[in-house]
Amino acid sequence: MDERRTGWVLIVVLVGQLVFLAIQGARAGETRLEAIGLRLLGPMARGVAAVPRSFSGFREDVKLRDSLLAENRTLKSEVEELRLRLLRLSDVESEMLRLGAALRYPTPPAGRIRTVDIVYADYTSWLRSLVLYTGGEPARVDQPVLSPGGLVGRVITVAGPYAKVQLITDRAASVGAMILRTRRQGVARGGGRGGGLELDYVPLQADVRPGDRVLTAGIDGVYPRGIPIGTIVSVQQGGQLFHRIQLAPAVDFGSLDQVYLLDYQAVPKGVTEAAPGANP
Amino acid sequence: MQTLKLLAAIALAVLVHFIGMSFFPSLGRFVDVFLVLVALYGLRGGSLSGLLVGLLVGLLRDSLSSGPFGLFGFADTIVGYVTARLAQRLVIQRPTGVLAVVSFASVLQQAVVIGLAFLLLPAPESPSPLEAAIRAGACGLLGMAVYVVGGHWRRTSEARRRGRMSRLRLG
Repeated sequence: MDERRTGWVLIVVLVGQLVFLAIQGARAGETRLEAIGLRLLGPMARGVAAVPRSFSGFREDVKLRDSLLAENRTLKSEVEELRLRLLRLSDVESEMLRLGAALRYPTPPAGRIRTVDIVYADYTSWLRSLVLYTGGEPARVDQPVLSPGGLVGRVITVAGPYAKVQLITDRAASVGAMILRTRRQGVARGGGRGGGLELDYVPLQADVRPGDRVLTAGIDGVYPRGIPIGTIVSVQQGGQLFHRIQLAPAVDFGSLDQVYLLDYQAVPKGVTEAAPGANP
Repeated sequence: MQTLKLLAAIALAVLVHFIGMSFFPSLGRFVDVFLVLVALYGLRGGSLSGLLVGLLVGLLRDSLSSGPFGLFGFADTIVGYVTARLAQRLVIQRPTGVLAVVSFASVLQQAVVIGLAFLLLPAPESPSPLEAAIRAGACGLLGMAVYVVGGHWRRTSEARRRGRMSRLRLG
């Protein structure tokens, strides 16, 4: 093919991709091509991820053999403490349910949690993502992803047993958030160098201090309320109306090797599928 | 045979990327193995195959990132085409020439990706010039290393093949 025709092919391919990107931006959903790519690369990522895990597992077994007894003792006492705490909390929960019933307040359903493995992680480039292996039970788009430390992100693409996660530190991610001390709401967004977060739309008159903990507010239709997002590290006067708030994420993303998928649907399926303006 | 070789090269690049990321999580910030593959292929092939390989490899790269699908596909299509056109106009015989072309390809890719990100993302982040330069240099060095090793391997296998043929003739 001569260069003139190749030039035309290039233009057609580029324009096609731009149109594809524009459509995708308007629809904001996963694409079939993306799922195919993930399906192709997922098994390779899983195979590669298994090697260092088993290697480091063996190395740790050898290194930690002596300290296992001590660790076991510590863990046993921790389990005892946690059992006591659970007893107290179940007491609080039953009281909360009783009061809620008296006030006719509908308690939000608690979601089921399951553990899944991370097979690929990219925390450092500016488009931060994880690929998970979910096994026989596939994930769902927009499913919240957690770690023991707090919120990790949400599932954006599902391809069979593999799922791609958008981290909360991603530039394009945003989470409905609230400051625990004052219940002031805002929007936590990925931003800042080094994987930090920003809390937007908190007015200047709001009481905000470094050290305040920030949780999910449960207002974005994706995440339930009360999951730790991070801690405020700095508060500056931003534009004319809002504070400029930097957060340190609650999760140390670099040390994750397993995460939890939360089976939670903030808005019932019937409501999301209902046509706007349709009669109930 | 060419297609098989290309698929093997893509599989190898993916494997190197995964292994590198699992041992050095910051690797993705400084080296783009996929880009090196596209640039090296562009240096060897025609402009049409360069742009198609760029498209394919870029879309594969997109399926691993959380950005808009097609961001790297678009950038790598341009990189594949431009590299192939450069190779048609310049005579690149020294490894330092490969270093320069792959580094240029990295700068071009970053510029296209950042430009698109500013159009498509709400709050895009542009890397610092130093980071971009380090990335370009690292990609160039990797490209040069692959070129040198590949050339050595080709020469060795060619010599072996010739040796076998001459033994056959003598026998």
